[in-house]
Amino acid sequence: MIQRLLPFLTLIALFVGLAIASPHFLTSTNLSSVVRQTAVINIMALGMTLIIISGGIDLSVGAILAMGGLLGAMAMERGASIPVGISIGIVTGMFWGLVNGFLTTRLKINPFIVTLGTLGIVRGLTLIISNGLPVHQLPADFSFLGEGTLFGVPFVLWILLVAAAAVHVMLEHTRLGRYAFAIGSNPDAAFYAGIPVAFHITSVYAIGGMLTGLAGMVEASRLMTGQPTAGQGYELQAIAAVVIGGGSLRGGEGSVIGTLVGAFIMGLLANGSDLLGISPYLQQAIIGGVIILAVTVDELRKRRLPA
Amino acid sequence: MGENGAGKSTMMKIVAGMQARDGGEMLWQGQPVNFRSPAEAAANGIAMVHQESLLAPHLSVAENIFLGREERRPFGFVNRRKMQEAAARLIERHGFPLQADWQVGRLSPAGKQLVEICRAIQHGSSLLIFDEPTSSLSDAETAEVFKIVRTLRQRGTGVIYITHRLDELREVGDRVTVLRDGETVHTSDIAELTTDRLIQYMVGREVNAIYRREPLPPGDELLRLEGLSRRPLLQDINLQIRAGEIVGLAGLIGAGRTELCRLIFGLDEADSGQIFVSGRPVRIRSPRDAVREGIALVPEDRQKTGLATGLPLGVNITLASLPAVSRFGFILGRQEREVIARQMERLRVKAESPKQLAGRLSGGNQQKIVIAKWLARGAKVFLFDEPTRGIDVGAKVEVFEVMDRLARSGAGILMVSSELPELLQVADRILVMRQGRIVAELPGRTTQEEIMSYAALAGSVNASQESVQ
Repeated sequence: MIQRLLPFLTLIALFVGLAIASPHFLTSTNLSSVVRQTAVINIMALGMTLIIISGGIDLSVGAILAMGGLLGAMAMERGASIPVGISIGIVTGMFWGLVNGFLTTRLKINPFIVTLGTLGIVRGLTLIISNGLPVHQLPADFSFLGEGTLFGVPFVLWILLVAAAAVHVMLEHTRLGRYAFAIGSNPDAAFYAGIPVAFHITSVYAIGGMLTGLAGMVEASRLMTGQPTAGQGYELQAIAAVVIGGGSLRGGEGSVIGTLVGAFIMGLLANGSDLLGISPYLQQAIIGGVIILAVTVDELRKRRLPA
Repeated sequence: MGENGAGKSTMMKIVAGMQARDGGEMLWQGQPVNFRSPAEAAANGIAMVHQESLLAPHLSVAENIFLGREERRPFGFVNRRKMQEAAARLIERHGFPLQADWQVGRLSPAGKQLVEICRAIQHGSSLLIFDEPTSSLSDAETAEVFKIVRTLRQRGTGVIYITHRLDELREVGDRVTVLRDGETVHTSDIAELTTDRLIQYMVGREVNAIYRREPLPPGDELLRLEGLSRRPLLQDINLQIRAGEIVGLAGLIGAGRTELCRLIFGLDEADSGQIFVSGRPVRIRSPRDAVREGIALVPEDRQKTGLATGLPLGVNITLASLPAVSRFGFILGRQEREVIARQMERLRVKAESPKQLAGRLSGGNQQKIVIAKWLARGAKVFLFDEPTRGIDVGAKVEVFEVMDRLARSGAGILMVSSELPELLQVADRILVMRQGRIVAELPGRTTQEEIMSYAALAGSVNASQESVQ
């Protein structure tokens, strides 16, 4: 039990440790900025949680985030309203999620390969569409999405909480979530049970894509730019968050709470390193070490369970 | 001998250096030893034929046989030709239906088992451990394994032979040790021991090993196949199953029994013929279609295709019937729990709670979960493919009882089994398959000899060779 709670305890320990180590940590400015910085990865990681539970993986989310943000921003630049712009970002994400799901299930190609391919395709198309140039002319109110405050907390935190609650309910209380676990745990048994496996895998990628599109709009709002090069390497951070939170790349395991904790652990590590003046180069190495450590501890826990 | 979970495999893994012991001593040729790896045990002359296949699926038969002890050339290159030849000689000497250059991943379980055996005997070991070597073999192949065991014995090799099958024990064994719950409960010469006694040692209580089912008057037709074919594996299959019936399907490995189940369940498609469910012609192109028509498959390989072993048993029970306990895609928790509780009670599943992982249940209870999944779905036609494989003696009778209760509640059952005594105990009538055809229909009270006379006519050797590839 203690080990199952370990990510949670690590998060608390990090929090307390940083509060003691740095006087700047427990300020509302700093905490808000941690939330804002983590939110983008967090929202993506929620979708990744679903995908990983179903036994898949999505390496293309960083590129999808960039295209979603770019297309949403371009629409607004051309006069579309903010809600329409945001919707365009989300629909773009969903479209690429459907493509990923379709290729994985119809062509029966390993999702690692499929999404490695779409990573290149989407990033390339994004650069072609934008000519490699960022989009700047955005309506001023659009910054509310990423930088605004509602009831005293960053608006993105509300978005994150709503998205997290929705994904949690989906995983624990809907057929889609149950089938995701079943397919991830044993795709053959799921197929033999008469579950429409291809449909559900595709749905999972589509939902992951939508959340990624949303994250893309948040990112665009924070930068007030549609940036075609945004999100590089985010896919690995999203995967890391899921894995630190107890998700298994073999499928069938993972939870929303775990993923949130995982993402915040990485966020606090980055923030703490900044506050304590640790070089950003070393930060990367530390986070890498934490990923390996987290997975090792989780594996040991599973092996120790009585047979 | 011993039931599943008695500790047979664990003990042998310790002997063969695959697992560490935490106490006690092991003497090998008079010396205390402690093997830390299979390689070390092999170097000392101990080799093991594993129950589950520990082979590299992408490599050839020859490469697997010599894995870890390849014929070397200078600079670490492997002498492939010499290896091939040596493997081919070995295979030929024992008359196995294998080719040295076949890829192992494409072999049937029986074929893989034969490769495992080749691998162990080529080491020239002085102690060989067989862990249920025949559980996936046909009778002819089993006979060959017995021959190998006897030859080894004559050459002065010691053999430890783990098995569930009482009849096998008498064929190959001299002495028997029975394990139960990780302890030795009995050791003696086999000749001194009656079968009933042996079972009693294994289960720790008296068990009626001889189950006899009272047949029912059959009801309405549930499933009918007319001229069903998938050439060359299945040809012109006609059969009918009625409510309350248990129809046995006998035949050698490769006769097409599993293929027939796959066809009915929509895993493969027929190229001609028609399936009727309750008199209605139906088209079944996927398991989804089959499930919708009330057809259920209890597969031979539970862990691989029957259960999500990493998920709670409750989740497994409702896996095929979620639409019935959900609304607008949301699962109704209370209704789901009721279904789970009802099925667990009905099948007398022994588990701590519905949250227990399916993979942690005994073989018999896992089998019940698979059946419960289909009962919850309201299946009417059950295809049982080798329902007692990997299930210990005590639980076998329980599985038969479950099948009997299913039949009594109006289900129709097709039971594929290589265990002829079990077919004779359970089935109302027995269909015999050979080379993709149903060649005989026999009454339930027939004899093993009668079944075999139809199943294994001259020419069937080819069929069993096909099956191995």
